Amino acid sequence: MKADKAVEDVGESAKVAGGVTFEWLRQAEDASLLTTPARPTATDHGDSSFSVIEEFNYWRMQPDLAEAVAAIKALTAVIRRSQASTMMGLEIELKNASEALKAWDETSIPLSAGCDLFLRYVTRTTALEYEDIRAGKARLIERGERFGEISQKARRTIAMLGQDFILNGSTILTHGFSRVVLNLLKLAASNGKHFNVICTEGRPDNTGAKVAIELLAAGIPVTLILDSGVGYMMEKVDMLLVGAEGVVESGGIINYIGTFQSALVARSMNKPVYVAAESYKFARLYPLEQRDLGPSPCHVEFVEPVPEDAKVENTARDYTPPNYLTLLFTDLGVLTPSAVSDELIQLYL
Amino acid sequence: MIAAMPDYQAAVDDFVTRLRRRQVEGSLITAKLTAELLRQVVSHQRLPNVGQAAVLIDVVKSVGLRMIAANPIAIAAANRSALRAPSLHNLLESIPDPVKTPEAPAASVGDSDSKSRSGDRNSVSWKLKHNVIEGITELLQDLDDYHTHVAEQALEHIHQNEVILTLGRSRSLLKFLLEAKKKRSFQVVVAEGAPRYQGHTLAKELAEKGLQTTVITDSAVFAMISRVNMVIIGAHAVMANGGVLAPVGMHMVALAARRHAVPFVVLAGVHKLCPQYPHKPYTLLNDMKSPAEVVEFGELSECFAAGTGDHTTYVVNPTFDYIPPDLVSIFITDTGGHNPSYVYRLIAEYYSPEDYFLQ
Repeated sequence: MKADKAVEDVGESAKVAGGVTFEWLRQAEDASLLTTPARPTATDHGDSSFSVIEEFNYWRMQPDLAEAVAAIKALTAVIRRSQASTMMGLEIELKNASEALKAWDETSIPLSAGCDLFLRYVTRTTALEYEDIRAGKARLIERGERFGEISQKARRTIAMLGQDFILNGSTILTHGFSRVVLNLLKLAASNGKHFNVICTEGRPDNTGAKVAIELLAAGIPVTLILDSGVGYMMEKVDMLLVGAEGVVESGGIINYIGTFQSALVARSMNKPVYVAAESYKFARLYPLEQRDLGPSPCHVEFVEPVPEDAKVENTARDYTPPNYLTLLFTDLGVLTPSAVSDELIQLYL
Repeated sequence: MIAAMPDYQAAVDDFVTRLRRRQVEGSLITAKLTAELLRQVVSHQRLPNVGQAAVLIDVVKSVGLRMIAANPIAIAAANRSALRAPSLHNLLESIPDPVKTPEAPAASVGDSDSKSRSGDRNSVSWKLKHNVIEGITELLQDLDDYHTHVAEQALEHIHQNEVILTLGRSRSLLKFLLEAKKKRSFQVVVAEGAPRYQGHTLAKELAEKGLQTTVITDSAVFAMISRVNMVIIGAHAVMANGGVLAPVGMHMVALAARRHAVPFVVLAGVHKLCPQYPHKPYTLLNDMKSPAEVVEFGELSECFAAGTGDHTTYVVNPTFDYIPPDLVSIFITDTGGHNPSYVYRLIAEYYSPEDYFLQ
């Protein structure tokens, strides 16, 4: 593949920066080939080769599993293999595992949000003073396992809440690839609503094509546009609907690069901006400007070769402040951006 | 299923019919009648020994659903019936377990508390109903008082020699202005509010009390707005995102106010809060009244094409306007002044999440 050489070049520099890009690309390729790699061998006692990161990668490759849920499942596996004899010891093990996961992929917000949420839950449960550590462990494992179902349930709730806002004959603009948004649109279509979707090309990951495939399979007419064509199309659009990688304390969202731009255009032309996000994406972050997000470089393939001295800014995501958002559809209900901080407090305290 | 009690069923049917025929108008009246009706329903409902609160909630919900089906725009009715349910949910939590599950007293024989409670089962069931009925009575009192609480804040907002603009007529606005008049002198510009022309009534009432009033047509609002210090209106309902349902013409006034940076103040009692989000407010949350108010039937007949009798002209007479939350500066409720972005908090205080969708 011609992408390989470019990937290789970036891979070297990326490895120095934390080995994120290359690894992620490789796994994405593996996932798209629908191969299921061998599961890390599960032995109960003293498995020194157990790596929480391997466990996480295994779960991450399940096609429908969100990153936060994969993290929680990995942490559940840690509990299962834990040799700790007290709840405090278990907590410390989990904390170390969570730090390891976060360090492995520093840029992923859903990952750290998922880890934080699960750790918070563990702390709350240990406070209930289970006398028998086995009972305590069992409870935590059960909860961790259920998180996978919660993820599916959350998407269904969001789809049900959001589909009321999709009106017959409307045109919806979407940006980036979000399974939650796809679920929402598919549910609305299956309930007999007629609408059409405009999706942006989504460089550099080409999310537009992926979204188009899914939507066409559900019988929804799709138009693909250039990322720079958002302003041009906005007058025809009735609403902007996006997912989110993370929802921050201010009520703003962090999402694929280009979301902020689309929201800006939508706002200036008085079109509503709706966000569909599950509650485990709520993160304890408060960015004040775009640079406050950690760096998350992605590989951009430029068709024209870039001259030596030109700099390249290749961030993969941006922050959309809350005043550009109209409503958020979450499994906690429909929220205005100002209501997000209240929900965050309830989740984390 | 709950057996229908003939005593209150007739009253419910009567109220539902009146709602459907739009004979009940105005959010306050609707709210009061709904609350009184629900009080009747609750007091007549016979409760089983187990799961009383759940039964009550079911009954209230079913009555509420009928009312909403009759007149979805009387959202105040929805508010009321839903509002009862959260107090029931709260009471559900405060009920001691032995009452809810009569098997428990048998298991915990040593517990003297549960023994005495199982004997007092009838009195506890009476207590639950009594608490709910007390709650509803308090609610009715609040409804009667809310004008006063809103008017108390008038002096903070209206200052000497100001010019206030409004459209149509609102009872809470009238009391608000008269309360401010006691200590300040100011003028009021009233837009008449076609096609019902209730602005004329308000202007007369204000003039009788000695307030300097000017009546203008609706189309003159943009012309007058730059001379005005503040716009104050009464709302029919406040949606969960902070949007306002107000009599037709208000959206235009809100846009004029935004254009000229005039504060847009909305008076709304807490009973006007609705936990729903408007996804298609202009059509789904609107009531189309008779076009005869706009154009006389006689004049309309000329609009039919000769021979075929097809329409060439349509006359639309919507009752309500939807004002998006970013056009509102402040909500004045009986609990104080609030930002539109704060409405979600008020909803969370007065409603429990199970009540957002009654179905």
